[in-house]
Amino acid sequence: MFLSILQSEWFKLRKSKISAIILAAPILTFLMGLTMDGFEFIGDDEVNDWLLFFLFSNLTYSLLFLPLISGVFASLVCRYEHQAGGWKQLLTLPVTRGKVFMAKYTLLLLLVFVIQMLYVVAIFSVGTMKGYTDAFPMAIIWKSVFGGWVAAFPLVALQLWMSMIWKTFALPLAVNVFFTLPTILAVNSETYGPYYPWAQPFLMMYSVEESMDSVFYVPWDQVLLVVGGSFILFFFGGMIYFSRKAI
Amino acid sequence: MIGKLIMADFLKMKRKGFWFLAFLGPFGVIALQMVNYGVRKEYLLTQSEDDWGYYLLNVNSFTPLAIVLGIAIVTSAIASVENETNAWKQLLALPISKKTVFLSKFMVLAFLLLVSSALLSIFTLGYGMYLNFDQEIPYSDIIIFSFYPYFAALPILALQLWIATVSNNQGIPITTGILGTIITYSSASLPDWLIWKWPAVMLEWEEPIRIVMLGFGFGFLLFIVGMIDFVRRDVK
Repeated sequence: MFLSILQSEWFKLRKSKISAIILAAPILTFLMGLTMDGFEFIGDDEVNDWLLFFLFSNLTYSLLFLPLISGVFASLVCRYEHQAGGWKQLLTLPVTRGKVFMAKYTLLLLLVFVIQMLYVVAIFSVGTMKGYTDAFPMAIIWKSVFGGWVAAFPLVALQLWMSMIWKTFALPLAVNVFFTLPTILAVNSETYGPYYPWAQPFLMMYSVEESMDSVFYVPWDQVLLVVGGSFILFFFGGMIYFSRKAI
Repeated sequence: MIGKLIMADFLKMKRKGFWFLAFLGPFGVIALQMVNYGVRKEYLLTQSEDDWGYYLLNVNSFTPLAIVLGIAIVTSAIASVENETNAWKQLLALPISKKTVFLSKFMVLAFLLLVSSALLSIFTLGYGMYLNFDQEIPYSDIIIFSFYPYFAALPILALQLWIATVSNNQGIPITTGILGTIITYSSASLPDWLIWKWPAVMLEWEEPIRIVMLGFGFGFLLFIVGMIDFVRRDVK
């Protein structure tokens, strides 16, 4: 049953101009990558060109774009239900609220995964067009992109919760902005940055090290405590809210 | 007629969070500096001889982002007021021209953001005085840092209002707002003609007042283009 709910969620989303919004990220990365030249002078020849460009793009992508756009996805998957009594119609079907919440959340995680993949494609295209000759650092980039995806889990959960409360896109975005902008300060602090949930995508994607055997670029206890902890808070908060929401 | 429309738009904004957001934006920008200076004031004071100037620069590192995102939020919110209840039809069935409807929404939001900028100047001054720098208070710089980014952002306001009022799906204007923010954030390495760069660049220009004039000029232009398109479209 879960799969059919998930499938119907996808059908609803497919007609919501989702492809244009998904493509926004890679296209912007692509265009900015082509117009920006400055960063090539920073590194010496020893540093891999791909890695240099990747890290440079990650700065804006993981700090601002990923947290903000995943909030838009969350509002989009609730848009259909907020219009003209859609929640009522959906919940008169023989589905449980828990499963509906899970289906929407799963779809969101898939969407974030897709933009992470498209981001790599954009990086690869720019590098190819600029004729980078160094070896493509597949392992490093994959690990970073995967880490950014996992770090987005709690943020997506909070945004889904907020999008279920409000009909408009504007208010969930306001919440998102309120928590995302301080990241710019938080990542400057070695003491507080690691504990700020919205800084996790950046820390996962930016602090890359070549010689590291762990799955993520940040310590496991930080992943479990900060990402895991905020995930539990936001995910179950949203789920409990939704299961009690008066429709 | 326009006066009544503006009053109606202010009424519709009641209890929808607009005024709270207008307060939250400038307050958030200064609150970040409260954290910044609270945690490492000693270090920040050693960074420059001109402590007031350095403080204003710190504030200004967030002002453009807050304005660009704030514009995306309020333009989408004001369009949602009509979208949610299919009120465009009812609004436009009144004996008023579509032009004035668009103008009224623009004026209301421009005023809201002006209030935000005024609040920003007050908060900037207030926290700056609390920090008690050993220096004269640079009143004119505080005004420039609080209001110039707003004037420079008028084209973005016109553009976002246009996109928000003609989009049925508010995901579209929100996404363009986020893309604009990314451009604002990485403005240093991008070409000058991008309007999203303007709120952030005044310091690099010899005469910052030019960015204000550009803001008015292009703001007016984009407003006219947006208005013409809004008028020509079918009512949803």
